[in-house]
Amino acid sequence: MKKACLTVTVLFCFFILLFIYPLSSDARPIKVGIIDCYSGPAAVFGNDALNGFKLALEDINKKGVLGKKIEFTTRDTKFKVDIALNMAKELVMREDVDVLVGTINSGAALAVSDAVAKKEKVPFMVWISKSERITGEKGHRYVFSTGENTAMAGKAGGVALSKKPYVKYWVGGDDYSYGHDIANAAWRNLKALKPDVEMIGKSWWKPGEPDLAPYITSILGAKPDAVIFCTGGRSMTNIMKAIKATGMAEKVPIWVHTGTDHAVLKPLGAEGPEGVMGTMDYHFYYPETAANMAFVEAFQAAYGGPPGFPAFHGYITAHFIAEAYKKAGSVDKEKFIDALEGLKIESPAGELEMRACDHQVTLPMYLGVTKMSAKYGCVISTDIMTLTGDEVLPTCDEIRKARGK
Amino acid sequence: MFKDAFSLKSLILTGAIFFVLLILPPIIPRFYTYILAVIFVTALVAMSLNMVVGHGGLFQFHHGAFYGVGAYTVALMLTKTSLPIWACFVAGPIMAALVGLLIGAFCVRLTRLYFGMLQISLGSLIWAIAFRWYSLTGGDDGMHGISMPPIISSSNGAYYFALIIMAICITVIYLIFKSPFGATLQAIRDNPDRCEAIGINVRRHQLIAIVIATFFAGIAGVLFVVVEGSVFPDLLFWVFSLEIFIMCLLGGWFTFAGPILGAAIMVSLKTFVGIYTEYWTLILGIILILLIFFLPEGVWGYILEKFGSRHKEAIEKGSK
Amino acid sequence: MDIGQAFTFSALGSQFLVGLSRAMILFIVSAGMSFVLGVLRVPNIAHGSLYMIGAFSAFSLSNLLGGGSGGFWLALILAPFVVALVALVAERSLFCHLYEREHLMLLLFTFALMLILGDLVKIFWGADYRSIMAPDVLQGSVSILGAPFPRYNLFLLIVGPWVGVGLWFFSNKTKIGKIARAAAVDREMVGAIGVNVSWVFAFAFVLGCFLAGLGGALVSPMVSVSIGMDHDIIMEAFLIVTIGGLGNMWGALVGSLIFGLTQSYGVLFWPQFAIVFPYIAVVIVLTWRPRGMLKSVW
Repeated sequence: MKKACLTVTVLFCFFILLFIYPLSSDARPIKVGIIDCYSGPAAVFGNDALNGFKLALEDINKKGVLGKKIEFTTRDTKFKVDIALNMAKELVMREDVDVLVGTINSGAALAVSDAVAKKEKVPFMVWISKSERITGEKGHRYVFSTGENTAMAGKAGGVALSKKPYVKYWVGGDDYSYGHDIANAAWRNLKALKPDVEMIGKSWWKPGEPDLAPYITSILGAKPDAVIFCTGGRSMTNIMKAIKATGMAEKVPIWVHTGTDHAVLKPLGAEGPEGVMGTMDYHFYYPETAANMAFVEAFQAAYGGPPGFPAFHGYITAHFIAEAYKKAGSVDKEKFIDALEGLKIESPAGELEMRACDHQVTLPMYLGVTKMSAKYGCVISTDIMTLTGDEVLPTCDEIRKARGK
Repeated sequence: MFKDAFSLKSLILTGAIFFVLLILPPIIPRFYTYILAVIFVTALVAMSLNMVVGHGGLFQFHHGAFYGVGAYTVALMLTKTSLPIWACFVAGPIMAALVGLLIGAFCVRLTRLYFGMLQISLGSLIWAIAFRWYSLTGGDDGMHGISMPPIISSSNGAYYFALIIMAICITVIYLIFKSPFGATLQAIRDNPDRCEAIGINVRRHQLIAIVIATFFAGIAGVLFVVVEGSVFPDLLFWVFSLEIFIMCLLGGWFTFAGPILGAAIMVSLKTFVGIYTEYWTLILGIILILLIFFLPEGVWGYILEKFGSRHKEAIEKGSK
Repeated sequence: MDIGQAFTFSALGSQFLVGLSRAMILFIVSAGMSFVLGVLRVPNIAHGSLYMIGAFSAFSLSNLLGGGSGGFWLALILAPFVVALVALVAERSLFCHLYEREHLMLLLFTFALMLILGDLVKIFWGADYRSIMAPDVLQGSVSILGAPFPRYNLFLLIVGPWVGVGLWFFSNKTKIGKIARAAAVDREMVGAIGVNVSWVFAFAFVLGCFLAGLGGALVSPMVSVSIGMDHDIIMEAFLIVTIGGLGNMWGALVGSLIFGLTQSYGVLFWPQFAIVFPYIAVVIVLTWRPRGMLKSVW
């Protein structure tokens, strides 16, 4: 009985503390609220983005922005949409953040974009989630994207594949919205550029499915000219392993968006398959410009490994925020948004613009082929062809049409 | 029947709490209004589950499926059809109850663990369908920006709407609890064989209880859409169902009001501990272990035991 | 879709083998869950977490032991024991005190355990993706019936039945196995004849978790070892155990075969909706036989 009494008292005090814990006040810095996934298989990307963001802030806060420092606070959404909504609302209503940033989960991004960003009129910058709907048909004044999206990836894939002689395609991927979006975008673009291509079949598997061999064997049995795989971060390693184990890359050409993602290829080491085509919007080893090398070095020194594409997005997000506030001249949400539209910054990948018509950053796409690198002990992307942001983004007219204006 | 159901003491207490809740929104920060609204919705789901678990003794492991069906129904009807809003609101719980009837009919053929496992299987099928049928349900993106009339979609509006509906539903559940039907249900929970022996159709009673419970779960689903404005497949996922189950156990499943407290604790924990650490599932797990060992009758059950002698008998009987 | 191509003997045959190899891992994991379910009468929700710990342990052990082929084999053998140790600690320190309690408390405990273990894995190993390489002899593929069949899957086809045989031997021919089976059917009787039921439960739990760890270690070269693996496998294990018959290990085998084969054939015939096939199979089985295909232990 005594133990029970104690437990109840402890719990009670715990709850009171949680509720009345004072929020930090004083001279108000610029507050950025980050909702992202720090648990589960997506956590590796969430952590990477946060690290890129923190690295940029170190530099930015040396001089400050409008005489203030930029502070941030994070919330773990555990890849669940309802928690993301809760946390986003908490950040906006209780912590009173100036800018919301996040997340990798497309469902969460869309939900927060609508229920929190649009409703509460708080700018929300999406940095990893790749759904084209975020700045496309569901876009609005209060949401921005500093990451590439499925429309861009699809266009890059379509452009790249249209230059090849393949006609019969098999499309396969993770059975969720990201997989389908990539497939639709890629096929749409490919078919537009090369009308004689033919899709002879489709396969969809559970995201995270461990054994992809049955799918590969049945695809090989159909004898397509080429294969498009639309896998998300979770299944990427599995598909790479399965490709290597079945020797598929030697039998048929394959294109995978984010197939050349270092976070996936590095742990594979020598087990990474060679000869697979992949697109990415950031590589730490390409282009070897001074800006990129400096960024990579600083990141490596701070975090012990090279930056991935989420880190790159996090880094440019921080710079966009800082520059926008400087241009706006005050910590006002509406002025911040106005300043962001059309803003150009210098980044490790060159000059980037935050397009005014859809709030999408004009990121380039790098298309390459995997090959073993002795220097890095794993396969990396080689023979890289660069597509500029303008070449891969949907046009402003297409965006306006999608939004139904 | 009604006179016995309400004792003066508990009536005053509930009335006082209700009054406090009514006057809160202008006083407290907006975020707490929102969290309380979420608690109301969750409390209703937990109460509806406890109808079959605590009062009925069934292992309803996938109650969330019906909650999700209610939410998805109202969302789909609001976005895809132009039926008036009240029709959509009513369609939600009706659909949930229909699904409850269908799945319940499957499951009541079995008992205890089989019942639970079978329900998880069937409920997961619903989840898989919602997840995969992208063109209809938006798949794992979910549906967002579901339009609501402004009086109920604002922070305060959603709060009051949820509060009032929840209060009405809980009153109804209480009346059922105190009714002869409720008494039969509890008798079935305690000793199904004896009930069969005296001629009660156990299966039929259980099925009716499931249908009623899933109807209320559907109402909670509708409230969820009002408060959050979105639906997504997570609502149909088995982990969420287990969380609701735990809310009942946490609050005290042999008590009436226990699940409400359980829901409040879980929602608060998830939100407020999540603010301070990303390891809040670890904290939740530890708190659960503490509760299992030291407060097996649930928090509310413990409070009642200490301060109310009337429920003591029920709890003692239950924890055997 | 080209139906003609689907029905070639080669395609049918290779899909059969692939489905079978997938079923092997499912069998090992589900057998563990079934065993715990049979003796303790509680579905171990933390089973997936132990599977995940098995995979991570295999990763760490293989690195510790120098990587490469030798490291892998040793890791494969040792990882399940690590998991069994974790299970034993959890069981003896906390779980065993609940055996006298309300049944649902045990279920609640396994859920709490899943939450705790999930975060502990994140704290201990971090969020990055890990990968183990299969030993050289098991890499690549062989051509069976004209289709490439990964060597590692062949390995699973060999290991799976041996594990099954080992389990059968254990539960039918050893004293402790027989006692455990008896306790599954009538624990009071077993207690009455002087056996320490608590230790029987401990043994059953640890064995079940050992199998989960073994499944995790075996699957690790095929997937990315990452947090979140626990959620993937637990639902499948649940469903398999339900359709196989609660507590029945052969039922776990039957269930795994149904699962694995419906998925691999679903891929062949209707690849767009392959994800739904196992669920449909589950619904069909449960409509026809609500208690599962084979007789439950109790």
